[in-house]
Amino acid sequence: MSKGFSRRQVVAVTGLGLTAGFLVKKAEGQVVWQIDSKSCVNSKLGEVGVKVCDLCVKECVVTQSAVRAVNEFSKCGRCCVCPAYFNVKSAVGKDGLPSEKLCPRDAILRKPIGEVDPNDPANNFYEYVIDEAKCDGCGKCVMACKEPAGLGSIVLRVRHDLCVNCNNCAISQACPKDAITQWPALKAVLGLSETA
Amino acid sequence: MEYRHTRVMGGPESGPDWFRHAIRGLAAGRDGRLYAAGDSRVMVFDPAGKVLRTWATAKPGCCLAVAADGRVLVGEAGQVEIFSGAGQLLQAWRGGWLGEITAIGFHGAETLVADAAARCIRRYDSGLKKLNDIGLDNRTNGFLIPNGVLDFEVDAAGVIHAANPGKHRVERYQADGKLLGHVGRFDGLNPEGFPGCCNPTNVALGTGGRLVVTEKAESRAKVLDSGGKLVAVLGTRIFDAGCKNMAVASDFRGRVYVAETVKLRIFVFEPARAEAV
Amino acid sequence: MSRLWAVVALLCALTGSVWAQALPYERPVDRAPQEKSIGGGYKTPDVQKPLPRKGWLEITDVVLLAAAMGVSVWIVVKRRNRRWLMALSATSVAYFGFYREGCVCPIGSIQNVTVALTDGHYHIPMVVTATFFLPLLVAVFYGRAFCGGVCALGSLQELVLIRPVQVPKKLDRALGWLKYVYLLAAIGFAVLPLAQRDFVICRFDPFVSLFRRSGFAHMLALGAAFLVLGMFVGRPYCRYLCPYGGLLAWFSRLSSRGVSITPNKELDCGLCTDACPYGAIEKMRAVRANCLYCARCYEACPREGPLVQLRGQA
Repeated sequence: MSKGFSRRQVVAVTGLGLTAGFLVKKAEGQVVWQIDSKSCVNSKLGEVGVKVCDLCVKECVVTQSAVRAVNEFSKCGRCCVCPAYFNVKSAVGKDGLPSEKLCPRDAILRKPIGEVDPNDPANNFYEYVIDEAKCDGCGKCVMACKEPAGLGSIVLRVRHDLCVNCNNCAISQACPKDAITQWPALKAVLGLSETA
Repeated sequence: MEYRHTRVMGGPESGPDWFRHAIRGLAAGRDGRLYAAGDSRVMVFDPAGKVLRTWATAKPGCCLAVAADGRVLVGEAGQVEIFSGAGQLLQAWRGGWLGEITAIGFHGAETLVADAAARCIRRYDSGLKKLNDIGLDNRTNGFLIPNGVLDFEVDAAGVIHAANPGKHRVERYQADGKLLGHVGRFDGLNPEGFPGCCNPTNVALGTGGRLVVTEKAESRAKVLDSGGKLVAVLGTRIFDAGCKNMAVASDFRGRVYVAETVKLRIFVFEPARAEAV
Repeated sequence: MSRLWAVVALLCALTGSVWAQALPYERPVDRAPQEKSIGGGYKTPDVQKPLPRKGWLEITDVVLLAAAMGVSVWIVVKRRNRRWLMALSATSVAYFGFYREGCVCPIGSIQNVTVALTDGHYHIPMVVTATFFLPLLVAVFYGRAFCGGVCALGSLQELVLIRPVQVPKKLDRALGWLKYVYLLAAIGFAVLPLAQRDFVICRFDPFVSLFRRSGFAHMLALGAAFLVLGMFVGRPYCRYLCPYGGLLAWFSRLSSRGVSITPNKELDCGLCTDACPYGAIEKMRAVRANCLYCARCYEACPREGPLVQLRGQA
């Protein structure tokens, strides 16, 4: 066994090194998938009366999907009759509120906030928190919250702690609006992919 | 009582003399004229829909009102501009004390302005001294207006009828801020009530104490009697589904004007039978 | 002339309608109530922003990959012990396979690297770059150390191979070309423009659905079929399909310190040749390009035990 390296080994290593060096120069630390809410049909403004797109649930290879609906609280209207929480088309109950909830997984929590008026539910602000353990990103609430019905505070986001970062993201293959694309992690996490 | 949809003014093919981006305010003058504010201009129409006058405003108008003496007040972000009936700028109220002005009304010599940023109606005397705020004295510290527009109109008796969409009500206030009562409630898809998260968005007073309101998310206009009972639905599905905060006005003959916010049209509805004036 | 006017009029009408349709849909007024207007001491909860996998964990993966290859070389070249290699295989299947869910792996990274080399806008993560080059670098010196006991796909197949049969030489060689066809196809799909680009290697990875315990039924079935076949035919995916295996085979030809059949002490008995399920021993010598570092030859060798002892004493 000779201790030295053959000439061909040196050539191969140099070639590999140069290519790797070239790639490292343009490498990003981490790249993740993220949904642009301005493109996603469930939150895209102006698309009114269209069917809810639930491909994020159906296509994702992760069980229960890596996509979640997220309520940006600072944009939430805090309505008493939230069209994302209630099925506003269902029959009205005795309390004056719709009798059915919209979420098929009952993942939205509702509670009155501020100086609560116990006698008149309409006289309060409400907080709507999405239970990430239950939500699978089906987009129903996102569509219901969209302008003009709501304020569009709920959007779909990829949860980077659940996403397995497939090269061939199955959602991106199926997404009719090409709304899910890869971003350098920092941008996607800080939400820079969405200017609004 | 029935209404007929008689005319559409404007629309996508109206060319450069029409509004380009928004129609936010409508007012019916006592002379039967229609005043409309949008973009950064005011347009005045005769009862036949012919443009009588157009003039520019400093900022995009959010609402407008015509005073008894013919002056035209245009509410904008942070200011109110006052024009003569001929479009001459007479005065402008500016300063930090005005937020987003989305409705203006009159109570004798006093002026009431709806400030959507403060979620209340502010009452000023003729010397512009603030007398009081209306609608702040509740658990929600103001009107619930996630739609971003606070609209009201004052009737002949000086009662303020204000839309409180988050509560699905039209509330009646005395000028001193006392809540007199309300009409309306959430009622799912039933047109007797107000649907969605926050309706009605805009309100106007029709003849005979009737209320004319517009709704979003299933854009439509409705006429209610003074007790809040549904009189007529003025057009469902004739307005673009994306409409929100459609301005509404009603004149002394009971004619109703609705500003469609997406395709920028003004719809005119008339009572099927002429009413005694 | 009238035709010209008609065209102009049509254009005007078109642009006019476009201009009217193109009205930007904007939020009229942003009036979402904030903490101050809600009152009652309400505090807005934070919107969750889960971070991607921590940077140091990603680096750990690369370090573990390098370490596992080191261990693989040490076990196979120095210790010459199949049992230890089985332990390493099981560990790799557990970590790179089931825990890391088969990602990142050098096989799929072929396409990422190709895209990064051809598309200036493509972001390739550092970890993917390292994952692609490290096994090749090792191959230049030691052969396919990655394949033996490190690669989760390979290790899984290694562990299920209980009744190896010899594939006829001709058939073996012919099927072996398939992986180069696959490699070329993968490169072809990667250099396509973004819209048509397809990461076929990941898409048709037969075992990733198993590692993730989710995914399409047909891929799970394919994985199961490969495993059943793999109980008799040694590592069918690695030998006939794995495109990275093709690359490793090229680089392994240069290696000088791979598996060696009992140096200086052959019996010419041919037991090792029969023991190799991959047809990688020809004329009593390990063919570096095909040797998958499984150490079965040592196990079969009557001379191997004493040799190890001798080495241990020396």
